[in-house]
Amino acid sequence: MSYESPIRELLVTGGKTAGDVTADICRPLEGKPTKLWWLGFTISVICLGILVYTLALTSFIGLGMWGINKTVGWAWDITNFVWWVGIGHAGTLISAILLLFRQKWRMSINRSAEAMTIFAVMCAAIFPLFHMGRVWIGPVWALPLPNAFGSLWVNFNSPLLWDVFAISTYFSVSLLFWYLGMIPDIATIRDRASTPIRKFMYRFFSMGWNGSARNWARYEVVSLILAGVSTPLVLSVHTIVSMDFATSVIPGWHTTIFPPYFVAGAIFSGFGMVLTLLVIARKVLKLEAYITIGHLDAMCRVLLLTGSMVGLAYITEFFIAWYSGVEYERYAFLNRMAGPYWWAYWSMMTCNVISPQLFWVKKWRRNPNFIFFMSIVVNIGMWFERFVIIVTSLHRDYLPSSWVMYSPTPTEIGIFIGTLGLFFTCFFLFARFLPVINMSEVKSILPHSHNNEAESVHQPEVVTH
Amino acid sequence: MENKTQYWKGIEELNREPEFVQLSKNEFAEGLPLDEVLNESDLNLSSNRRDFLKFFGFSVSAVALAACNKAPVKNVIPYVVQPEEVVPGVPNYYASTFKGTPVVVKTREGRPIKLEGNTKSSITGGGLDAAGQASVVTLYDSKRLPLPLKKGERSNWALVDKEITAALQSAESSGKGIRIVSGPVMGPVTQSIINDFKAAYPSARQVVYQGISYDGIYQSNEMCFGKAVIPTYRFANAEVVVSFGADFLGTWLNTLQYTRDYTSKRVPTKENPVMSRHIQFEGNMSLTGANADYRFPLRPSQEGQALMSLYNALAKQMGLTQLATPTKLEVAGNGIEESAKVLAGAKGKSLVVSGSNDPYIQSLVNQINLMLDNYGKTIDLDNYYMLRGGDVSFSDFVKEAGSLGAVIFYNCNPVFDTPEGAALKASLENVKLKVSTGYYQDETASICDFVAPDVHFLESWNLTEISRGKYSFTQPTIAPVFETRQAETSFAIWSNNAAIANNEFNYYEYIRNWAKNNIYDGVLGFDAWWNQSLHDGVFDKPELTPQVPSNNVLASDLVAKINTKVGNNDLILYTKVGMGDGSDGNNPWLHELPDPVSKITWDNYLALSLHDANELGIEQGDLVSVSNGKTTLDKVPVLIQPGQARGSFGIALGYGRSMGVKDVIGLDAFPFVGKMNGTSSYYVSDVTIAKVDGHYELAQTQTHHSIEGRDIVREATLAEFAKDSKVENHDELGRMRNEEGKLYNLWREFDYKGHKWGLAIDMNACTGCSACVVACSLENNVPVVGREEVRRRREMHWMRIDRYYAFRQEGEYLTREKDYDKMEDHQYVKAVHMPMMCQHCENAPCETVCPVLATTHSTEGLNQMTYNRCIGTKYCANNCPYKVRRFNWFRYNDNDDFNYYMNNDLGKMVINPDVTVRTRGVMEKCSMCVQRIQSGKLNAKLEGRKIKDGEIKTACQQTCPAGAIVFGDMNDPESQISKEFMNDRAYKVLEEIDVKPSVRYMTKIRNVEEKKSVSTAQH
Repeated sequence: MSYESPIRELLVTGGKTAGDVTADICRPLEGKPTKLWWLGFTISVICLGILVYTLALTSFIGLGMWGINKTVGWAWDITNFVWWVGIGHAGTLISAILLLFRQKWRMSINRSAEAMTIFAVMCAAIFPLFHMGRVWIGPVWALPLPNAFGSLWVNFNSPLLWDVFAISTYFSVSLLFWYLGMIPDIATIRDRASTPIRKFMYRFFSMGWNGSARNWARYEVVSLILAGVSTPLVLSVHTIVSMDFATSVIPGWHTTIFPPYFVAGAIFSGFGMVLTLLVIARKVLKLEAYITIGHLDAMCRVLLLTGSMVGLAYITEFFIAWYSGVEYERYAFLNRMAGPYWWAYWSMMTCNVISPQLFWVKKWRRNPNFIFFMSIVVNIGMWFERFVIIVTSLHRDYLPSSWVMYSPTPTEIGIFIGTLGLFFTCFFLFARFLPVINMSEVKSILPHSHNNEAESVHQPEVVTH
Repeated sequence: MENKTQYWKGIEELNREPEFVQLSKNEFAEGLPLDEVLNESDLNLSSNRRDFLKFFGFSVSAVALAACNKAPVKNVIPYVVQPEEVVPGVPNYYASTFKGTPVVVKTREGRPIKLEGNTKSSITGGGLDAAGQASVVTLYDSKRLPLPLKKGERSNWALVDKEITAALQSAESSGKGIRIVSGPVMGPVTQSIINDFKAAYPSARQVVYQGISYDGIYQSNEMCFGKAVIPTYRFANAEVVVSFGADFLGTWLNTLQYTRDYTSKRVPTKENPVMSRHIQFEGNMSLTGANADYRFPLRPSQEGQALMSLYNALAKQMGLTQLATPTKLEVAGNGIEESAKVLAGAKGKSLVVSGSNDPYIQSLVNQINLMLDNYGKTIDLDNYYMLRGGDVSFSDFVKEAGSLGAVIFYNCNPVFDTPEGAALKASLENVKLKVSTGYYQDETASICDFVAPDVHFLESWNLTEISRGKYSFTQPTIAPVFETRQAETSFAIWSNNAAIANNEFNYYEYIRNWAKNNIYDGVLGFDAWWNQSLHDGVFDKPELTPQVPSNNVLASDLVAKINTKVGNNDLILYTKVGMGDGSDGNNPWLHELPDPVSKITWDNYLALSLHDANELGIEQGDLVSVSNGKTTLDKVPVLIQPGQARGSFGIALGYGRSMGVKDVIGLDAFPFVGKMNGTSSYYVSDVTIAKVDGHYELAQTQTHHSIEGRDIVREATLAEFAKDSKVENHDELGRMRNEEGKLYNLWREFDYKGHKWGLAIDMNACTGCSACVVACSLENNVPVVGREEVRRRREMHWMRIDRYYAFRQEGEYLTREKDYDKMEDHQYVKAVHMPMMCQHCENAPCETVCPVLATTHSTEGLNQMTYNRCIGTKYCANNCPYKVRRFNWFRYNDNDDFNYYMNNDLGKMVINPDVTVRTRGVMEKCSMCVQRIQSGKLNAKLEGRKIKDGEIKTACQQTCPAGAIVFGDMNDPESQISKEFMNDRAYKVLEEIDVKPSVRYMTKIRNVEEKKSVSTAQH
């Protein structure tokens, strides 16, 4: 019995040949940077400077430079941390889980999504490091290093320690995966390089790749292994991040639903950020033929799915708060909705629950301008989700005598803007020096690589399972 | 046995070849391959010398450069001859006296670092208030004058003495008169010295005034009974207390004694469920009002009417003649009738007090107390409170000041703390000699020709008579920090008598002689008596049996004299707990101490009712101008104060000191103090309040004021408690318990083999006076962080007192923000004070979340902080349900942004060497005074015994005048804390989250008739 799936869109349009692919994708790397690139890069570097300055203020003067206080001990710092880590999740999901599920549409977006993961995790890591009162020793002491202090050891009960392992594992595996996938492409650029420096650099990083069958065989195997290693990370990293809250006693944090809810939220926000980046990149780098409307459509469906999951989680939380009968829980959730930070809560609800539902409309799923706008909305919404969870739970907990309000200082805002600067600086450099699309994989999904000689532009591909 | 066997190494040796013989003389027979080694290509011997010089040169210059780094010089000065009693690391304690409160001074290596109440005192029983606790910081205040001043310039004692004596003599001979101006002199020996001075200069007179005057009480007692004294009020004998604006637990007269006596009647037990009833009529929401069972808002201008009505209501009940009053008296709802009813039922066991300074109002109060048979029982005119008056009244002095020859201000600051300050300043310009003995260049000292700074009380000898026959000794605990001299010595020197001319004056001997002649009881030998009294710090003569005085005044005669005109807007001038009249206005701890009711630090403000604020269109954070026509204060921040009587506005005195302080803090309201019936009046009627431009945020340590209906504070009425001693305190977690009665939980049980420390806090005893807050902070080197940081909600107090309001509406109390926010009137309010510190949980949420194990559980049940290990993730603070953890946001010592006492070497002398000064970036919190526990354990170990219950006291417990805090070992079934924990009122805050706190609170019982509050309406 055979099932014939509906006709699918082409994954690469424009009748590209393998040669076109190489030329198109290498073009941004080999030409001179455009004015637009310089503009974006300059702004990003300025923001990066803000990051350095504000982190220096924090480290040399004290955490008092932030707006946190005796009751609200975490605010923008951990909000930003969770937000950035969440953003990273899309890359891992695309490169690992979609690889295992043989979703070929991932091939033209996985490279940049993985790059985004790396940069987002770098940005995320800044916050747990610098939120430490004694940043000069904290990062070392939080590691289980052998030492000369007798039985001095880390606390394996603490979710913060789990974070240390989770984030460092996540970063190293993601980096490895990303780099490994790039080796064939780097070799291609090496072969096309004209200046000695480029030749040297790309030769160095291509690690002697020669495109032999043996190379390819090992490449495929290692990719699969790394995909297997990364797959649990998609679920585990944000699960552990969520445990920073779930294992506490604070109403609004002490919630068993957090692990799946955080993972769904992470993928939601990650796809939001991927869309933000790719909608621009496909335009600026003229890659519309590779990152097609169909790709955007697929990602919008992921947004729709995960957004609905997140919405369900919000509603479940509310129900459980009421159903538990615990007055502190009930208050915490009522306070989110109607307390002094109601605006943050309703921003979150609007952006994360209501707005993704618009993607039920196919026309809107296929409109890049609308998608870009929505991706920003999703990013804002997910930032507010973390803010709501962290700040509105802390600012009014058990004893009303300690209830406070929190507002950020310029230093905190500067650090957040600074991490955006770091992220985009890295991304601009990435787009300038590395292929933003996996050339070798994309070549495998060119229409004519599947015995379909007709190069008519909109010829649908028929896949038989 | 000789071994003749020969071994040979080779054939060459056996043959003894000449070549071999020759070579064997060398150390290495075969030679070393030196050439081979040295000629290897990579060892370029030809430039060896140059390389050597290069390396040598580099090393020398590197070492020289490294040595150029100037290491800071820190001087450690060892004892050359160790004083006999000083053992490094072991504190010495000396008895002393702070402003009429017996204290014990803890010194370390010769530095006083902490004051504690003197438990031997029959007046305080060991309590000490916030101002007393903070006063040790003043000793090391760098703003104190280090030398005598002449015309504002630094001078020396010899010159100053010579010139002052000469000027005094010329003033004397000119016949213009000499005046010594001072606050009340509680020291009989000081008074004797002043008397000597007056004998030396016959034209000298003494002017005694009080910044905060109680003249009305003197005068009324003189008028009524011919005894110009302030009586001792015995709250311990009073079953009904009715107070008209007297803040006797916070700021009114001898608060420590009153607090102790009052609370002794306020703690009902299962066996004896009785307590006194306290009714308060007042305008401001005072600490005393916050503790009252019933509190009625009453403006001070209504007080005369209210007292007359009370008199009439009582007279009616007792069948006596009522007063013919000019107006119909309808004040404070039915409060007056209710009060009369309970007062009449407690004749001889009640007490009516008034905070008014009007002698006629006080006389009427006397008449009421007479009617109630309270004299000799709850009011003692014979063992009176010792605030002495002088020869000349202050007003007369101000009038004649311009014509005087010399004025000496003895430790007082009348230019600041009297309403006539400006007039005084002007008229003093013509006076030839003006001397101040204060230890600051304050408002008065700065207009003086000479400042002869007195020593701090911790540097001096003295003797104080607190109440009649109750003496307290002051002994120096440190050599004067500056080149200051005790004022008594100065007076003696300026008296210019023969002994002094020979430099023989010795104030210590003078006190000894005085004591020998005046108070020595002759039971022991004098030296033995003296040593014993100094050791104990206190000496009590037998009390007189209080008599019922004969009355000279008819209540009906008072009616005409008492103000019955009710003003429109009454401005109430009150003093704050701690700050008082502002004389210690440079003490950072008094500013950082949150007001016990408003929880505001670092400012005074205009307190007004919500109703008035709405009428005037004022919101929290606005600024207003306050004017009574003559005086105007501009840009006064406002506080909308629940409980404030409508039409009354409160502003604290003692703020706005402009000289002798680091910063001007608050606004000076003394110019508003007026006169009524000859005495200072601390309210002004018909003031105008107008909103002005600007916004000001008061630094408040608590900004949410209700418990939101949560089961945090448990309270019940006395009637309910008498019926069921476990009222509000029944176990409602039954289903969550296993067979052993323990709550099911995930965690391993701890096994406490030795001690298990805990605290019990009785909310019925706690008045909220906040002495513990300062005591804890000084004991544990908690930094002062200043107004801006308090605004950012980062005060560092390890111990705080939570104050919650419940708002009454239609007989019910509202505790939820959403409910009371709709109310238009917050006049009717009740308050509860809840001391809160680290609860030392067994299942501490902070311990599990620390990634580096910086906070851990001790084998004795303490939750310990290891500062050195802390990396400052703040997760522990987030996860603390009680929010008691404090983070070091900045470095608070040696940091110019925090220019308080920890920022200079002198100020740092007050730091407790037993407690680490925390660095930036670490978390800290209450340690249950672990250093005291350790020292108690060590002492017991050295003496080879077990720790006695009550031997170790935490700093908060020690200072508590109400005895509301009990610390001890829960593993000792005989200990007081074990008994307290068995109390039916004992409960754990947030028991349901099962963190198992080691601190228990006692249900608050109120002696009220009304239905219990809705505070725990969830059940």
